[in-house]
Amino acid sequence: MSVILGSDRYGYELKEVLKKELLAHNYDVIDVTETKDYDFIDASLAAAKLLYENDGNFGIIIDAWGSGPFMTLTRLKGIIAAQVSDERSAYMTRAHNNAHIITIGSKITGPELAVRIAHAFLQGSYEGGRHHIRVDMLNKMGRYLPELKEG
Amino acid sequence: MKIALGCDHIATDEKIQVSEHLKQAGHTVIDCGTYDHFRTHYPIYGKKVGELVARGDADLGICICGTGVGINNAVNKVPGIRSALVRDLAAAVNAKEELNANVIGFGGKITGIFLINDIIDAFIAAEYHPTEESERLLAKMAALNTSAENQESPDFFDEFLEKWDRGEYR
Repeated sequence: MSVILGSDRYGYELKEVLKKELLAHNYDVIDVTETKDYDFIDASLAAAKLLYENDGNFGIIIDAWGSGPFMTLTRLKGIIAAQVSDERSAYMTRAHNNAHIITIGSKITGPELAVRIAHAFLQGSYEGGRHHIRVDMLNKMGRYLPELKEG
Repeated sequence: MKIALGCDHIATDEKIQVSEHLKQAGHTVIDCGTYDHFRTHYPIYGKKVGELVARGDADLGICICGTGVGINNAVNKVPGIRSALVRDLAAAVNAKEELNANVIGFGGKITGIFLINDIIDAFIAAEYHPTEESERLLAKMAALNTSAENQESPDFFDEFLEKWDRGEYR
């Protein structure tokens, strides 16, 4: 399992905070935006590509508000994303929605809370069962974009 | 304004409170369900709200489930929908001003109803302020819109509901 981190220029500093924290906790971190030169769409798409490649990967995208990456990622077939600013939503979205990526806004969520959200999300686990009908429904919507996922 | 509402069975009470709040303010509400607390599935209602807004049959949409995550994933998978899942006025207003959000989402068990209603009022009042940057980003986002074959059909989810009825989701 790898943790994919991405940000635009507004989320860069908070992303660096999370990177340091997650590396210190021995997560395998893949930073898809090592500079500030990405917009939230390119950051989201780079992360989505890695989610498609490995079901065991999880992602966190940070921009100013969390909304832009959420709108971007949720449009993509097979991607379930959560825009979060609290710890409960962060672990519940793993448990019930099988979300593989969250978005955080650096203008909304401070570093301490963001770190707790990241841990809550990464330590969560999917319950399946009755929740899976909803996940099947979401995953039927849309079409794969050939530039992101083959086949 | 004509506003489409959707919720799952966890957030029906909050949805009704929102509906009453909107009617009080003179808005027309299109309630897409669910209408009671019987266990159901949020994608059904998110898709309905999204299709109404995308077709222009509603001006804006509001989607509520327990955390808001599930139903707002569904609504955003309808081409043309831009929903933000928020917990404060600042993010809601920004989503309209910068991203021209046409749906706003809430966790009915995360955010209290008084705050939800304040956020909705602020979201309705806010206006999109197009800039070169915002137009560039929205065009780039629109290029990601896709739709599955038959996605607009009301029967789109039937295969899963049949599986559910056969007890295959336990």
